[in-house]
Amino acid sequence: MSSHSITLDDLPRDGERLDLAKVSKLNGALLVVGIAGLAVSVLYLFGFLGAQKQAEFAYSWLFAFFFFFTLTNGGIFWTMLQHVSNSGWSVAVRRFFENLGANVKWMAVFALPFILIPGIRSALWEWIVEQQHAGSYEGLATAAKVNHHLAILVAKHGYLNITFWVVRAVFYFGFLIGIIGLLRKWSIQQDTDGDFKHTFRSRALCAFPMLIYALVVTFSAVDWVMALDYTWFSTMWGVYIFAGGAWGSMAFSIIALSYVRSQGYLKKTVSMEHYHVMGKFQLVFTIFWAYIAFSQFFLIWYANITEETRFYLLRNTGGWWWLSNALVWLHFVATFVILLSAGRKKTPNVMNWVCGWILLNHLVDIYWLIIPERAPSLTSGKIGEALGYHGEPLLWLSGAWVGDVAAFGGIGGICAWAYLRRLAKASLYPCKDPRLLESVSCTN
Amino acid sequence: MPKTTLKRVHGYLAEFSGAGDIYHAAEKVRDAGFQRWDVHTPFPIHGLNEAMGVKRSILPWFVFFGGATGTITAFLLCYITQCIIYPTVVQAKPTNIFTTPAFFPIMFELTILLSAFTALFGSFALMGLPRFNHPLFAAKTFKKFSDDGFFLCIEARDPKFHQAETKAFLEGLGGRNIELVEDEL
Repeated sequence: MSSHSITLDDLPRDGERLDLAKVSKLNGALLVVGIAGLAVSVLYLFGFLGAQKQAEFAYSWLFAFFFFFTLTNGGIFWTMLQHVSNSGWSVAVRRFFENLGANVKWMAVFALPFILIPGIRSALWEWIVEQQHAGSYEGLATAAKVNHHLAILVAKHGYLNITFWVVRAVFYFGFLIGIIGLLRKWSIQQDTDGDFKHTFRSRALCAFPMLIYALVVTFSAVDWVMALDYTWFSTMWGVYIFAGGAWGSMAFSIIALSYVRSQGYLKKTVSMEHYHVMGKFQLVFTIFWAYIAFSQFFLIWYANITEETRFYLLRNTGGWWWLSNALVWLHFVATFVILLSAGRKKTPNVMNWVCGWILLNHLVDIYWLIIPERAPSLTSGKIGEALGYHGEPLLWLSGAWVGDVAAFGGIGGICAWAYLRRLAKASLYPCKDPRLLESVSCTN
Repeated sequence: MPKTTLKRVHGYLAEFSGAGDIYHAAEKVRDAGFQRWDVHTPFPIHGLNEAMGVKRSILPWFVFFGGATGTITAFLLCYITQCIIYPTVVQAKPTNIFTTPAFFPIMFELTILLSAFTALFGSFALMGLPRFNHPLFAAKTFKKFSDDGFFLCIEARDPKFHQAETKAFLEGLGGRNIELVEDEL
């Protein structure tokens, strides 16, 4: 509107390409961290350090895998949302979501140990151990007559059986890889041919599959994390995981955007208005996550039913109590208050710190979901017997954190390295998108 | 009551032909250093706040403290009644600070209620509403502001207002149908 407003002539016709040579230092460091982490992880994963360490590491691997899986999933969600809502503002930053979502290929590779290595699988999911021990559904039903705890597993057999579990995992990854692959492919095709049809078919593609996406997020979270304790259930679970993932992935995208801008790119296409919009999404998802997290806690706390309270009892015992409180006061309250100010949301430097803080809190959230299950699971039941534990279940296994760091460095390093390389493969923004000008000059 | 003939000058009202025109006119009025003036358009114009040099409203602070008052009021209401005056044991829950989750729905609702009230009544107060009339309603062309008219009004109470110079200034900006709006006393 003002006399100095940007027109398409001010922008490079073929977009801006990230020069990998410029970011080679960071990229090299990420690759080194990734390979070192994976090398250590392989020792753990294949049991070279013993069955005990392998079992402990199963949780480390799930923790690191799931953290990055939620971020990747969030990237897919944001891409689909921009298409399905025909968003104009987001065109300039959409490729950050697309490239983050496209990491899901790597997540599929990192998920292979869960399916292929029996030691990892049975350390995590007791229901698999119990079913294999019983041999068949009939065997399980017979065993349940003696051990009444198993009755719930008999009832859940239609869903929790290995064949269906593997088929579902394949479907989740097939769907996620397919949809983000298509969206990214069409978006990049448009960079060269400038055809509007890509915009329309992307929108058409996202509408109905948004429902499937919601189911995939929900049930993958149920299959891999909620099923760590097959007796526990919560209908809030899927949306809780989704809220955290969308929150973390937006934080990651803002940091990546700031990093790319610090290298001298996207100076004309991205303005403080984009930071403001993305910051608003951060605020919304801070509140949304807290709303869901509290609803889940509240209903279980109020109803006070034995099967349900176990989840929170464990996480309120010993040192875990501090982490539960950190989620309330740091994950929600502190972030909420920081993000209230419009001025802060419009200041990239502040937003970078806030987003780092958000990623840290998302990490704590995923850690808090998965790691508390490790010690009690491995020191009781059939796995505990196999590992030589007899007595009361433990709350904490000393030394297991080394595996957490290795797995996190391995998966994180490789994911970040692949992400940066992918950013460089095409223009940093969809340069022929029909809504580009609308996005560049967006105000709110 | 007998009608007086006394009138007070409200200011100059000038009409502009479109969003772009009035945007640039606003920039020039801002740069000329006027304080008491306003723009009336049929629809919101992006960036007009900056063009007018309007400072950010203080309303968010009202809303923040309104909401905080709601949270604290709700907590105290629940805590004092349920934990101190008449400790109520529900489903073996404690009656101390760890009962707080049970108070959350009320804290949440009262936060929203008081935030909404401060937002609504705070903005009324800042805008000077409600009021019975506005001098601009007496202007001949002003009704068009809700249809297709773009108006800029410089008020007489502005320290830089001058009966001849301000009119010439508005004409120089491209304002049409310049009218001296008078308020009946």
